[in-house]
Amino acid sequence: MRPRSSVLFWQLLLLVVLLASWEWLTGIKAISKTPGLYWIDPFFISRPSLIARRFAYLLSDRVRLSLWQMTLSTVQSTLWGFVVGVSTGFVAGLVLGRNDRLARIFEPYIVAFNSLPRIALVPLITMIFGFGLVAKIVLAWTIVFFIVFFNTFQGTRSVDADLIHSARFLGASEHQVMRTVIIPSALAWTFASLTPSISFALIGVVVGEFLGGESGGGLGYLIIQSLGTLNAADMMVALLTLGLIGIVMALGIKQVEMRLLRWRPEYRKGA
Amino acid sequence: MEAVSDVSFEIGDEEFVAIVGPSGCGKSTILNMIAGLVEPSAGVIEIDGRPVTGVPANVGYVFQKDTVFPWRTVRRNIALGLEYRGIRGDAQERRVAAAVSMAGLEGFEDAFPATLSGGMRQRVALVRTLILEPQILLMDEPFGALDLHTKLDLHGELLTLWGQRRQTVVFITHDLSEAITLADRIVVMTRRPGRIKMIYDVKLTRPRDVIRLRETDEYLRAYGEIWHVLGEEFARERAR
Repeated sequence: MRPRSSVLFWQLLLLVVLLASWEWLTGIKAISKTPGLYWIDPFFISRPSLIARRFAYLLSDRVRLSLWQMTLSTVQSTLWGFVVGVSTGFVAGLVLGRNDRLARIFEPYIVAFNSLPRIALVPLITMIFGFGLVAKIVLAWTIVFFIVFFNTFQGTRSVDADLIHSARFLGASEHQVMRTVIIPSALAWTFASLTPSISFALIGVVVGEFLGGESGGGLGYLIIQSLGTLNAADMMVALLTLGLIGIVMALGIKQVEMRLLRWRPEYRKGA
Repeated sequence: MEAVSDVSFEIGDEEFVAIVGPSGCGKSTILNMIAGLVEPSAGVIEIDGRPVTGVPANVGYVFQKDTVFPWRTVRRNIALGLEYRGIRGDAQERRVAAAVSMAGLEGFEDAFPATLSGGMRQRVALVRTLILEPQILLMDEPFGALDLHTKLDLHGELLTLWGQRRQTVVFITHDLSEAITLADRIVVMTRRPGRIKMIYDVKLTRPRDVIRLRETDEYLRAYGEIWHVLGEEFARERAR
């Protein structure tokens, strides 16, 4: 067996073993005649079979707000928060990275704002932007912006001065130096921040949905609703879906990264 | 701290001048002053009778360090200067293709620099500069990081390219053989703060064979004479 398929084999085996023992352990009664007492209580962690059933049910149109709609809402807010956060963070990083004076002026404010726990902002953001899409995007933005900003800033700062000099000797204007040296060089740093950014955008959105109620929709709403009804199975459905969203988005970023950074030896084909 | 002191010399049109000296003698400082990267604290640098302020036009600079842009293919690296001047399309393609074949880089046009050897990258850096046909070419130990074999290859190529379209060249090196192989005149510097110790006229004829010339009497005499002077500087450096 080739190493790659062997890894896949073990990964699948682990999944099967985990699911099987979960199903089995939550089925053993602690004291055989007493109903409702289990070694491991499915009330808290549910069971795979139950989760699968709820999954199918929530996907169907028998519910008012289907899992599809909730997933779509979460994905949409996450992508918006990500796009807005990345683009503003990138531009801010470039501008401050190239301008020492501005960077020194803004530094204390940026550090102060960045050390605020973003969750503490949720009530304020909700107060200002209400319970909808915008509030979720703003919350995701407050996190993503800083991650991308700091990376791009560092990247811009660490551009090789000799590359800039050689561009000048080849006749580059300020603008051309920016386009052909600084941006491509900083991009490598920016890309390193994108995978954490998408996870943090997702965190921001889900936290926003915790508070957002039904109007915000989304998987965070499903989790909070399940807490209200003490429904562990539905929570598991939401978590599972969030995990899938996370994987798909991270893979998407990886694809773009491999394309744009293909000049780097570590991204070369076959490597 | 003074890097160089009381350094004064003239370089003629189409002349190939090498500057040698112990490390830290301010060789690179002189080059950077000619290039307008460093302002002299006293004195003046003039090109065609005009003092240098800022990076002058018509000057090409080849660095010791690898300054090929890693995110651009060979072709797009060589095209950089043309792109900056707004030369696009067919005109750009034709000139880049000519430069590629001039440097013997055919077949590597679409390769990224990370896949090339150090010698090939430096070749890209060289034609990237030469494609713009600069009047003055400044080279700061451009072959310093290469092995002897690659170095000799590039010496031969540089001399061929220079023979076709004579620029004024100022070439910094600490490798005496390299200086004799390439230059018309060799400026020998003292240790820091660098002064001019001697200026040597290399009487080797052109075109030169970079391998065979090392067996000629003139090469050996030049080497011996300059080495004697340089050796004094090294000895003094060690005695400190």
